[in-house]
Amino acid sequence: MFIRAPKDFWSGLMFLSFAGVALLAANGYSMGRGGRMGPAYFPTLLGCVLALLGLILVVRSFAIHGEAIGQIQLRPLVVLTACVILFGLTIQPLGLVIALTLTTFAAAFSGRETRVREAALLSCGLTLIAVTIFVFALRLPLPIWPSL
Amino acid sequence: MFFDVFSNIGLGLTVAASLQNLAYCSIGALLGTLVGVLPGIGPVTTVAMLLPISFTLEPTSALIMMAGIYYGAQYGGSTTAILINIPGEPSSVVTSLDGHQMARQGRAGPALGIAAIGSFFAGCVATFVIAFGAPPLAKLALQFGPAEYFSLMLCGLVAAIVLARGSVIKAIAMVVLGLLFGLAGSDVNSGIRRFTFGIQGLADGIEFVALSMAIYGVSEVAVNLEKKEEEVATVGVVGSLLPTMAELKYCTPSILRGTVLGSILGVLPGGGALLAAFAAYTLEKKVAKAPRNFGHGDIRGVAAPESANNAGAQTSFIPMLTLGIPSNPTMALMIGALMVHGITPGPRVMTDRPDLFWGVVASMWIGNLMLVVLNLPMVGIWVKLLRLPYRMMFPMIVGFCCIGAYTINTNITDIWVMAFFTVFGYFCLKLDCEPAPLILGFILGPMMEENLRRALLISRGDPGVFLQSPISIAFLVAAAGLLLIVAAPAIRAKREEALAE
Repeated sequence: MFIRAPKDFWSGLMFLSFAGVALLAANGYSMGRGGRMGPAYFPTLLGCVLALLGLILVVRSFAIHGEAIGQIQLRPLVVLTACVILFGLTIQPLGLVIALTLTTFAAAFSGRETRVREAALLSCGLTLIAVTIFVFALRLPLPIWPSL
Repeated sequence: MFFDVFSNIGLGLTVAASLQNLAYCSIGALLGTLVGVLPGIGPVTTVAMLLPISFTLEPTSALIMMAGIYYGAQYGGSTTAILINIPGEPSSVVTSLDGHQMARQGRAGPALGIAAIGSFFAGCVATFVIAFGAPPLAKLALQFGPAEYFSLMLCGLVAAIVLARGSVIKAIAMVVLGLLFGLAGSDVNSGIRRFTFGIQGLADGIEFVALSMAIYGVSEVAVNLEKKEEEVATVGVVGSLLPTMAELKYCTPSILRGTVLGSILGVLPGGGALLAAFAAYTLEKKVAKAPRNFGHGDIRGVAAPESANNAGAQTSFIPMLTLGIPSNPTMALMIGALMVHGITPGPRVMTDRPDLFWGVVASMWIGNLMLVVLNLPMVGIWVKLLRLPYRMMFPMIVGFCCIGAYTINTNITDIWVMAFFTVFGYFCLKLDCEPAPLILGFILGPMMEENLRRALLISRGDPGVFLQSPISIAFLVAAAGLLLIVAAPAIRAKREEALAE
């Protein structure tokens, strides 16, 4: 491979793709003129700057040597993101008690070592505390139980 | 003017000393110490988790509590840095250099004591710096037009870039990306929905709480879980907490230097406690006599950075409260909290809500006193808490982040936003892209666009408007100067050295 600075290369690519999305989306809005900036004016400006920066990073990564990307372990990231999505899917139909117990229990499986009994106890305890604080003490508008 | 300040502080004290606010102040300070002690959870995450709680409180109480968390965390971080060589907060990394050496020599007590005394002294001075410095700054800011504001924000963002670790280009790109994320949602002027991609829940933009909790909460957990859990070795004997008179005298110049340096650096955007502590230690090694002792348990190596980080933590409130410009992510969160209460941080806060402004300032002084009185005797309890393994902590962080992101608007889209930014944040951390500039850009994005629009509207599209007022020119020159400085290779090497640890 010719890539000498993988961290720079991939972050440059990331910035380029975000810039691409921004410029494409801003294309649909009116640009306006300097004196009367349209909704596309500032985003287009930013998108161009971001694209330029991304390009510099990518080009430079072929020339200058840089650090390798550290080891990426997908398990914690995937499990944690799944937990967040799980919470989103369950909070409205099933209520806080079930959603939070499930989420915190599942979250425990993102670690290196998981002790199932400990995780189960922990998630129940956390839910109890959370319901006490958020619903009873602070009266946040959260559904506690499943809505039928 | 002089008299005004004292009557204002008096007003602040009556607000801060109300039973309710005293309670929130102590809750904040204790909670701050707790998260300061625990590695892997910092003030940003905690303030983010507490945002939904703050909406049910009065804005003054909410801000008092959040401020307590911020400066309380500086105390807690130093405790673990000294006792077990694990800095609970990045700003106490330097404290561990000499502090832990002292602990190994059986002088843990005086190290903790001098850290507390230095912090308390610095906190008192910083409170007065805010009381005297903020009103003139706010008065000046009231004369700012859109052009001056735009240049000021530009300067602030550049400063954040300069102080970010790692590559300058990446930091600039993160700021720009943050600005772009900040623009999502309905455009104020045209009513057009930008970057919502047809998603109804994004009409009000990307929720800041969801974004910051994803990056500072969940992503960070993911990164932390990849590391091996470290065994905690505690130093048993703490001994007498009070340093001797001789030690106190020995440290006084260091405390003074640290306080002054910290107060100045805290005001800079992107500054705050972390930079202050590093700079103070470096200065101390250059200025103090017998510098060879540093790193081998020199008490001055604890006194100076501890004073500096506390002073810096407090003066970083100045740009937030007077200009509405956050100097670090925690401040950005507090701006978010104030905005939910319908208060736009800026020069008007001081005149429109003097109770809020002076109440928060006075509460910092009370909070610092509480930290000294409450914390030192409780050192043993804090250390025991360190035995709590991370695997029991992170499910709580994830759970609280989910609750926080959802309750902020009871909008399910915010959860999906959080999931997206968890993945984004993880890769940013892996690719050495600092999230702090992104967060600052995100907060400033809409304000910058609005001020740019207004400035150009007044000048009918002539960009020369930014070069017409001396204030605006000064900010632009400062921004350009800062950029040149980081670009210069000689200084770049030094900066990397200073920010390396």
